[in-house]
Amino acid sequence: MNLQPNDKINIARKIAWLAAGFSVIICVLLIVNFIQSKSVNPIESETLKALVERLKSDPQNEALINEIRAFDLLARKAYFTSQWQLRTGGYLLLLGIIVTILSVRYVLSNKPKFGELEEIEKEPYLDSVLARKWIIYVGGSLFVLASVSGILSYNSLNAYQFSKSEVKTDEVVVETAQTSEEKIVEETTAAATQENIVPEEIMKAEPKTVAEEVKTETAAKTESSVFVASQKDLRANYPFFRGAEGNGIAWQTNVPTQWDGAAGTNILWKAKFPKRGFSSPIVWKNKVFITGADNAGREVYCYDLNSGKLLWTALADNIPGSPSKMPSVTADTGFAASTMATNGNSVFAIFATGDLLALDMDGKRLWAKNLGVPDNHYGHSSSLIIYKDKLLIQYDTNKGGKLIALSTASGAEMWTTVRKSKISWSSPVLVNTGNRMELILTTDPNVDSYDPETGKELWSVKCLMGEVGPSAAYSDGLVFAANEYATFAAIKPGSTPEIVWQTDEFLPEVASPLAVNGVVIIATSYGTVAAFDTADGTLLWEQEHSDGFYASPVYAAGNVYLIDMAGVCHIFKAGREFQLVAEPALGEKTVCAPVFADGKILIRGFDNLYCIGK
Amino acid sequence: MKQVSKYIFSLIGFVTVSLPVWAQQQRFPKPEFETGYQQPQPTVPDPRMLLMEYVDVFVLLVVLLLISWFALKKRSRSGIFWTSVFSLLYFGFYREGCICSVGSIQNVALAIFDPTYTIPLTALLFFLIPLVFALFTGRTFCAGACPLGAIQDIVILKPMELPKWLQKVLGFIPYLYLGLAVLYAATKSEFIICRYDPFVGIFRFDAEFQMFVLGGLFLLIGIFVARPYCRFFCPYGVLLGWMSKFSSKHLTITPAECIQCKLCVPSCPFGAIDEPIVEQGNRRKNVNRLITYVMLLPVWALIGGFAGSLVHVPLSKFNSNVYLAEQIIEHPELKNDPDNIDVRTFMTSGKTVDQLVEEAQQIRSQFYVGSWILGAFLGLVIGFSLIKLSTFRKRNDYVPDKVNCLSCGRCMDYCPVKKENSGFNPEVSGQNPN
Repeated sequence: MNLQPNDKINIARKIAWLAAGFSVIICVLLIVNFIQSKSVNPIESETLKALVERLKSDPQNEALINEIRAFDLLARKAYFTSQWQLRTGGYLLLLGIIVTILSVRYVLSNKPKFGELEEIEKEPYLDSVLARKWIIYVGGSLFVLASVSGILSYNSLNAYQFSKSEVKTDEVVVETAQTSEEKIVEETTAAATQENIVPEEIMKAEPKTVAEEVKTETAAKTESSVFVASQKDLRANYPFFRGAEGNGIAWQTNVPTQWDGAAGTNILWKAKFPKRGFSSPIVWKNKVFITGADNAGREVYCYDLNSGKLLWTALADNIPGSPSKMPSVTADTGFAASTMATNGNSVFAIFATGDLLALDMDGKRLWAKNLGVPDNHYGHSSSLIIYKDKLLIQYDTNKGGKLIALSTASGAEMWTTVRKSKISWSSPVLVNTGNRMELILTTDPNVDSYDPETGKELWSVKCLMGEVGPSAAYSDGLVFAANEYATFAAIKPGSTPEIVWQTDEFLPEVASPLAVNGVVIIATSYGTVAAFDTADGTLLWEQEHSDGFYASPVYAAGNVYLIDMAGVCHIFKAGREFQLVAEPALGEKTVCAPVFADGKILIRGFDNLYCIGK
Repeated sequence: MKQVSKYIFSLIGFVTVSLPVWAQQQRFPKPEFETGYQQPQPTVPDPRMLLMEYVDVFVLLVVLLLISWFALKKRSRSGIFWTSVFSLLYFGFYREGCICSVGSIQNVALAIFDPTYTIPLTALLFFLIPLVFALFTGRTFCAGACPLGAIQDIVILKPMELPKWLQKVLGFIPYLYLGLAVLYAATKSEFIICRYDPFVGIFRFDAEFQMFVLGGLFLLIGIFVARPYCRFFCPYGVLLGWMSKFSSKHLTITPAECIQCKLCVPSCPFGAIDEPIVEQGNRRKNVNRLITYVMLLPVWALIGGFAGSLVHVPLSKFNSNVYLAEQIIEHPELKNDPDNIDVRTFMTSGKTVDQLVEEAQQIRSQFYVGSWILGAFLGLVIGFSLIKLSTFRKRNDYVPDKVNCLSCGRCMDYCPVKKENSGFNPEVSGQNPN
């Protein structure tokens, strides 16, 4: 078939029209499909959201779960089918456009060539004049527009109030309160005021130099109006996890040894928590502070020590940097595993979200900040401790460890020491080694000592491994550290620290060792309690129990109080021979160590807070 | 024998290197879903082997050499056209528009202002090679190596000439775009050239609807206004224009002497042919005007800089950190909004709002300095444009405007003068100039 050039052009023209029409139709279909695909986006499905809402109120409804799954699958299939249609449509449109262009170009190429461009009338001089004018107009307008939009725009960053400036306001409040109530307490020599039941070794360890140093510093602090609690007050109360130094020594003398939680014997009061937690209570005068948290919120509770009445609840909310999505924690750690701290002027709480809250004794927020969500696969559990005017935080996470000192008054960072450590769940312990105060931290792989004043590392011994939960103990000039699958070591601190002895016969998983009266006690999670000679590590005695121990042993009034996971408290003499005093039962499971107040013991069960006394 | 042993050793080496890779692939197979779930396609191209990136550089070099040869020696418009079709297929559809020289401006800007960023050598080469070619041979990159230009060139069906003033005003946009692209890249805010590339979504078949419409509009307009993106938006075109202005071997309309037949004038769809000109108007007035504009040059720069400094607040809002910080400050309730993915991501990052605001303030202060420079730059562009429009240089022939000529070679086909004859040849041209 011989086609004439004109026939070819006609065919090309028809093809061009057909292809153009085809392209337009595809284009319209693509737009319709695009709009439709927006309405079947599975993430935005209202029906699915309604079903999920229903599931929240009835989480065990299997039929509903299956319905959601089926609907979700359907929505996704529809979405991806629509995506496929869009993509295929895109290819077809491209094909249509290519054919149109080729056909049109063919038609044009057969037209007589007389210039591609549709020209307009030109006058170079006048064109230049006009161009200059327009450039000035447009350029000037652009600059005016830019200036106006700049003037009218609002720089909200400048209006932002940094939490540091909020803190300054709080400092003023604190100062006023301190002045009016004359709360600045002068330091007195602790040894002179202690009761005679205090272990002799601890009495001996009280250095005069420290007392003098604190005296001088207290005077200095008085000038700057920063609250520093005295050692006497700290020991008269129960301000931190495991006592006034965090080492498991309680200084209270009048404490009960008999109770029965189930029968209510010697139970002064019992309070059910609004929210669960595994933190221990702390006590200051007639107030008991404790935390509770769940996915919905984080709270601090204050109970009256004598009546058990809930005095106030403070919420740890609206904290800048606090995550809107809760970090993943395990049920046996939760969001409130860290025990609070108080200096008698303020109370401090930390949660697994990294939220740190400072309240006055009446629950009014002083300051709050988020330390950054700790990367912790169980949940952050290291407890707080206070040294003079510093709130000390052991912040060991999967991303590395830090020791942070914040001003108790303002929350301002005083120093931060980056630690050569992995994640840990242990808590800091304050130790007086005779000539200086040291803050002892345990972690994988080190036992580290820091100057609590400056954060400077004093010494470090590599002896631990694994997931370190137990904190350190101190007695007879030795630091004791242990962890399951690692070792139990006695370390002589100093500029050249050395491991004096170590054993791996009995190792704790969670409970910290307690060193007192020449004996160091280990409580294991499989139910064995063992006592070693602090001097050489000789096994003095061992006791086996049917239930394991997560709660750490605590010394009070000559006895050791050790609660197993079933809630039975094993009270025995703190001596080289095992001598059982009593075995009262709480009647509720617990993993928290007993907390001591004058004439009373507080124990946190899984659901209730118990106050024991006569 | 030596050759054989070399091959054997190479084979053993290859197997040794590739076996662990193969084993790893077997050990960790791609996860499968039993529900018919289709793995979504990534929105950016897969990482490319380094060797293949160098292949891209090699292809770019070959293409540029070919086009230069077609434009300067062979004087073949069809040769340039088909090379541009190849570039469209290779750099556009096959390489999915990445990496391209236009976008590489941002890599270079980021490398200059952020010492922690190491620019890939291939990106640097993609940036430099076309500029070097432009310095010697004019904008041959635009003629046939750039896929963005090629796709627009194909759709030029019925081009019309734009008034000079409009061309000048629209020609201001590439400078603005270049300045903004450098500003956003230097502040690590955004690669706006890539994000708002109207054609890359077409190359990848994954354009968002808005970008698809934008790309379609450019092509539709491109039927009548030739290569609108290249002429009135492309920031790389600014740099190429600067280089091309000094090019020693630029394409010429005629291979010999211009016979002033005017046939070439309507051949250029880009209006990039300078016609013969003589000075018009009163000379004294012309000189005074020129002197005035020269003296006003620093004033334009100052005005521009000041306006730029004022607009730094709105400009910086496009930075994600600044935007997020302002959102959280202005709407604190967003911190508890589980549906706001940006805020949620930030809240779970562990950073505090204090830190975010502090970072945002730093970025905003960078924008303040950057906007000053950008404004001053635009002021200078306006000032120099006015100076150029006030300058008269006598011209006797029809010559390509080196800055705006895209070296497409259309004009060469229209010129009746052929090299062999060094004169007019009506048979070859097929046209009667009269």
